Amino acid sequence: MISITGLHKSFGSATVLRGIDLEISQGEVVSVLGSSGSGKSTLIRCINGLEKIDGGRVTVDGFDVSKPRELADARKRSGTVFQLFNLYPHMTAVQNIALAPVEVLNVPRKDAEAEARRLLQQVGLSERADAYPAQLSGGQRQRVGICRALAMKPSYLLLDEVTSALDPEMTAEVLSILANIAKQGTTMVFVTHEIEFARSISTRIAFLDKGQMIADLPTEDFFSDKGMAMPRVAQFLSKMRKD
Amino acid sequence: MRYGDFTPYDLVLLLQGLSVSLALFVSTTLIGLLVGTLWAVIRFYRLPVLAQLVAFIAELLKNSPVLVQLFLVFFGLPAFLKINVTPTEAAVITLSGNSAAFIYVIAVSAIESVGRDQLEAARVFGLNRWQILRRVIAPQAAAFAVGPLTGLLVNQLQVTSLISVIGVIDLTKVGNILNLRTLKPFVVWTIVGALYYLTAKLVAYAGARLETRLRAHTKWKGL
Ligand SMILES: Nc1ncnc2c1ncn2[C@@H]1O[C@H](COP(=O)(O)OP(=O)(O)OP(=O)(O)O)[C@@H](O)[C@H]1O
Ligand SMILES: [Mg+2]
Repeated sequence: MISITGLHKSFGSATVLRGIDLEISQGEVVSVLGSSGSGKSTLIRCINGLEKIDGGRVTVDGFDVSKPRELADARKRSGTVFQLFNLYPHMTAVQNIALAPVEVLNVPRKDAEAEARRLLQQVGLSERADAYPAQLSGGQRQRVGICRALAMKPSYLLLDEVTSALDPEMTAEVLSILANIAKQGTTMVFVTHEIEFARSISTRIAFLDKGQMIADLPTEDFFSDKGMAMPRVAQFLSKMRKD
Repeated sequence: MRYGDFTPYDLVLLLQGLSVSLALFVSTTLIGLLVGTLWAVIRFYRLPVLAQLVAFIAELLKNSPVLVQLFLVFFGLPAFLKINVTPTEAAVITLSGNSAAFIYVIAVSAIESVGRDQLEAARVFGLNRWQILRRVIAPQAAAFAVGPLTGLLVNQLQVTSLISVIGVIDLTKVGNILNLRTLKPFVVWTIVGALYYLTAKLVAYAGARLETRLRAHTKWKGL
C-alpha cells in the first residue's frame, strides 16, 4: 500500500502541495488528474523520493520515503516511468533495462538481460533490443522506459504523463501496453491528460487542484453527477473535452 | 667532416630527446588524469574541506605560469623544505600537477554536462551514488570530455618543452645542443618543430578515434 497523509511540499515560498491524503492499495489503478501546475508531478516525485517532503508522511509498503534508510526499500517497490523517458543514452535497450536489476537486486547479468529481452518482446520490441535510445522512435523509447520500470518487478508503477511527448499514433501504442499491464494486476499511479484513457483503465480518480486533493472517487462516480457536482471538476472536464 | 656538420648520430640524439619528451608527456598525463579525475570525484561527492581544498589548488595551478611552478619545485623545494629533487622529478611533479588542474576543470564540466534527468532515472531505481557515478555518469562524461581533453593534451605536449630550462635532455634541449654545435638554427628547429608536430598529430588522431568510439551510441545506425 502507498499511504500518503497530510503531505506538504513547497518550493521556496510557493506551497505546491497542501495536505494531501491518498491511499493506494494493491491492484488499484489510480489516475491523478488536474490542471497544469496543480502539483501532479510533484506528488509523484514525493512518492519516489525525488523531492524532499516538507510535512506529512509518505510510506510505500510501510517504508517511509523521508527516512534515508527506508527510502531504498521504498524505491525497490515502486517503478517510475518518466515523461521524457530519461533513458541512459550510452546503453542499448537491453542494457537500460538490465542495469538496475544487476546493480540493485544483484541479478546475474545474463539472467537480467534475458529478462530484458522477454519484456521487450512483450511490448513488441524484440527487433530493437540492441539499439541505442537515439536509434529509437519516441514511442519505442517509452516502451523501453516501461520495460525498465517493470524489470524491477515493482509492486507499484508510477507514471507521470508518459505519453505527453508522443504523437497520437505513438500514444495509442504506449497506452495499449499500459492497458495490458493494468489488466495483469499491476498497481498504477497514473498522472495523465488522457481523460478517456484514464476513464477506461482506472479504478479511481484523484483530482488535484492548486495542491489540494479535492476529489477522490471511484472512476464511475467521478465521471457521473457526483463529479460534475464539483464546479472545479466540471470545469476541468469540459475544458479537456473541448481540446 | 668539420665539427659543425650534422652526423648520423645526431638522429639518435634527436630520437632520444623525443623519447624523453614522450615519456614525460605520457607519465604526467597518466598521473594528471588520475589526480584530476580523483579531484573531480571529490567535488562530485561534495566532500567537505577536501572539495574546497581541491578547488583552491586547481585555481593556483591554472592561474600561474608553468615555468614559475617549475622553478618553485626545482629551486624552492630544496631551499625551503630541504628536499632535493632531480630535474626529471621536478619536471614530473610540475607537469603532472599542471595537467591535473586542467583535467579537473574538464572532468568537472563533463560531469555537470550529464543531465539531471539521468541522475533521477538512476536514483529512482535505487542505484547508490557510486553506482550512479560509475555506470551512468562516467561513461557519458567521458564521451563529453574526450574532445576538450585531446585539445588540452596536444597543448601539454608542447608545454613539456619548458622543462629543458632546468636541464632535462628532452627534444627541445637536444635541439638546443645541436643548434649550438652546428649553428644551423633554421634546419635544427625545423626538424625539432616537425617532430613535435607529428607527435601532436598522433595525439589528436588517437583522441578523435576514441571520441568516435565513445560517441558511437549517438549515431543513427538505421533500422
Ligand atoms: N523544482 C521546482 N522549483 C520550484 N518550483 C517548482 C519546482 N517543481 C515544480 N514547481 C512548481 O510547483 C507547481 C506544481 O508543479 P507540478 O510540476 O507538480 O505541476 P503538474 O500538475 O505536474 O503540472 P503539469 O500538468 O503542467 O505537468 C508549479 O507551480 C511549478 O511551477
Ligand atoms: Mg507534471
